[in-house]
Amino acid sequence: MDRRTVLKGLAGAGGLALSGGISAPAIAQGASARTLRFVPQANLANFDPIWGTQYVVRNAAAMVWDTLYGIDSSFQPQRQMVESEEVTDDGTTWTFKLRSGLKFHDGEPVLSKDVVASLNRWAARDPMGLMIKANEQALTAVDDRTFKWVLKQPFPKLLFALGKNNAPVAFIMPERIAQTDPFKQITDYIGSGPLKFVKGEWVPGAKAVFEKFADYVPRQEKPSWLAGGKQVMIDRVEWIIMPDPATAAAALQNGEIDWWENPIADLVPVLKKNKNISVDIGDPLGNIGSFRMNFLYPPFNDVKARRAVLMAMSQEDYMRAIVGDDNSLWKSLPSFFTPDTPLYTEVGGDILKGKRDLSAAKKLLAESGYSGQPVTCLVAQDQPITKAMGDVTADLLKQLGMNVDFVATDWGTVGARRAVKTPPGQGGWNMFHTWHAGADCVNPAPYTAIRATGDKAWFGWPTSAGTEKEVSSWFEAKNLDEEKAAIGRLNKAAMDDVVYAPTGFFLGYTAWRKNVSGVTKGPVPLFWGVSKSA
Amino acid sequence: MLSYILRRIVSTLPVMAIVALFVFSLLYIAPGDPAVVIAGDQASPEDVERIRQGLGLDRPFLVQFGSWVWRILHGDLGTSIFTNLPVSAMIGQRLGPTLSLMTVTLLLTIVVAVPLGVLAAWKAGSFIDRAIMAFAVFGFSLPVFVVGYVLAYVFALELEWLPVQGYTPLTEGFWPWLQNLILPAIALGCVYIALVARITRATMLEVLQQDYIRTARAKGMGQGGILFIHALKNAAVPIVTVIGIGIALLIGGAVVTESVFAIPGLGRLTIDAILRRDYPVIQGIVLLFSFVYVLVNLMIDVTYTLVDPRIRY
Repeated sequence: MDRRTVLKGLAGAGGLALSGGISAPAIAQGASARTLRFVPQANLANFDPIWGTQYVVRNAAAMVWDTLYGIDSSFQPQRQMVESEEVTDDGTTWTFKLRSGLKFHDGEPVLSKDVVASLNRWAARDPMGLMIKANEQALTAVDDRTFKWVLKQPFPKLLFALGKNNAPVAFIMPERIAQTDPFKQITDYIGSGPLKFVKGEWVPGAKAVFEKFADYVPRQEKPSWLAGGKQVMIDRVEWIIMPDPATAAAALQNGEIDWWENPIADLVPVLKKNKNISVDIGDPLGNIGSFRMNFLYPPFNDVKARRAVLMAMSQEDYMRAIVGDDNSLWKSLPSFFTPDTPLYTEVGGDILKGKRDLSAAKKLLAESGYSGQPVTCLVAQDQPITKAMGDVTADLLKQLGMNVDFVATDWGTVGARRAVKTPPGQGGWNMFHTWHAGADCVNPAPYTAIRATGDKAWFGWPTSAGTEKEVSSWFEAKNLDEEKAAIGRLNKAAMDDVVYAPTGFFLGYTAWRKNVSGVTKGPVPLFWGVSKSA
Repeated sequence: MLSYILRRIVSTLPVMAIVALFVFSLLYIAPGDPAVVIAGDQASPEDVERIRQGLGLDRPFLVQFGSWVWRILHGDLGTSIFTNLPVSAMIGQRLGPTLSLMTVTLLLTIVVAVPLGVLAAWKAGSFIDRAIMAFAVFGFSLPVFVVGYVLAYVFALELEWLPVQGYTPLTEGFWPWLQNLILPAIALGCVYIALVARITRATMLEVLQQDYIRTARAKGMGQGGILFIHALKNAAVPIVTVIGIGIALLIGGAVVTESVFAIPGLGRLTIDAILRRDYPVIQGIVLLFSFVYVLVNLMIDVTYTLVDPRIRY
């Protein structure tokens, strides 16, 4: 008997009992209705959204720090801290004016100098920020509420860069904090967002507390993801870290917590049966599963070997291994881009469509010169998603006749080893598994994994001149049609060269008590508009 | 006695130093890199390297070790790589829940296991004896997380008597403190109770066959007096030893128990730190645990002299 089996069985039994009409306990509901108790996806182990770029840090930071612009549910940047912006006809000089009345949590006003320092720190760590910096002539504070960014060349995606929600986000901090070296952690968590971080109650690994910021002035527009009016309806949000999914499920059923960000698929049926709990898809942009092949060494330095794997792989196998039998939770993905987003394309994705052709794949693999050398496949078995994908890949490679060296270890080790560029037999690797948040794959700007700049690219170090050419085309595109055309060509080039192997698109659920209202779908858990009754 | 205690404390320092060196070396050669975890999944290799440099992880082993020892000698356990908080403060935050859990478990064990062991020895060979020993085997065989889930299901979800998770400090009231600890303490205590009950039974059986017990019986002493005045006192040394050594079990079991019941204690901190390769935190906790072991052993030795006057140092 393993731990997962036990938790499924017991949580299931508990869920059935509760769904049978037993009400929530009185003992456990001591918290005020003005406090929302939330179980996040992971531990908030640090709290500098520029220094560390984990999603959980980004999610917490979005409550505390505001942004100049915010991406809305139409993927468009909308003004947030900014009142107005002007750009010169040649597209090189942007002048921004801040909204009046913006305050930091320590009572100090938000000034242009704070923005300048914050953008400098952010730009040192962000791929788009680095591109802007390379193109910068000057970033200066004109007066307390006005700042100017002068570029050498036009950068049409500037507002998108300032509002994007993938980490690192261009959060605005007080100048004294933003002057911290971007590779060193800040220790003061003062923002101007709708909630304040209560540092004194922070127990890393267990609890993080946020209180409503009374002086926050929301915009008047309706909220939409990270844009619009961020109206906070509760006094306090407590993030309670729960490493054990069965405990989180039981606590939600019991009323000890109000909202669980990402219940595991095994426990969702139990939660759905409980009359006091709502369950829905959390992030409509979902995730893209992937494995990456190392371009530096045989066999995957040969495009034929990479294509052979793509030709043989079944995305359905991968997706079922991750989400189980719920067909509503996954889609085949002959693409590198997030389905149902404006730039989604399947151009060039034919190799992932239709019946899988193992014999043709074997033939192609033989043409690549593969001669039975071990293929080192790294798998983080402490992450269920990567473990599930790794098992499918191991089977796939064996079916292709490859000699698999399956290295199942923990994420910390995989994370370190994937950065090693030596040959697989000397500490390097041939394949590893991961996944990307769909929000990061809507276009090339935040999409590190699609870049194919060889030695400077993400792990696997893919080289694909065609892909990089089309990334540039997208950045230079002047309208949506041009963008779509560029993305189509990009998808084909990346698929032809197999920059990486997409294993499919999958969604995850979120669950909350029915006395909580206003929970909305988004790439980040959004706390504005959320209220709770007793 | 005082000089013995002082000698024991002094003699533990080299042991702790060796443990510290061993742990530091082990972490240094183990695969995994905290900078990778910090940087996140989308970071570039250059970002990771810059973070490593910022944390001083690129410095030679001896430099890192020397720097750590120097800080320890100045009473500084260092700063967490991840939280940027002092390790001593992090341990301090987590000490309360773990100590509370261990205290309640220990009390529960003594209150339940010792009488059960005595009873089993008294009724040796009877149904009661067999039932108690079967219970002990059962308790010994069940993983902590299984017991934990069953308890949570029955007493929290079904009966709604106790909460599923969390910890409330004692400063907020005795009952709020205790109600969060009852289920975890039972889950954690099962193995411990089983162990102590078995040892108590075995030791008591041995003592009950001694001549002086026969003499006491012959003089007409009652069963209660024989068991609790003569036998138990003379059986106490091995029982105290097992209870003391069992604290090691508690520390190990607390890791799982604290996860199952979401108690923010040292066990969870340890696991989090290991998974993230948060070296200063791991080293601080290992030092603390080593110190606890040494202290517990010392207390056991001192307790011997209290329960058995024949033992002198």
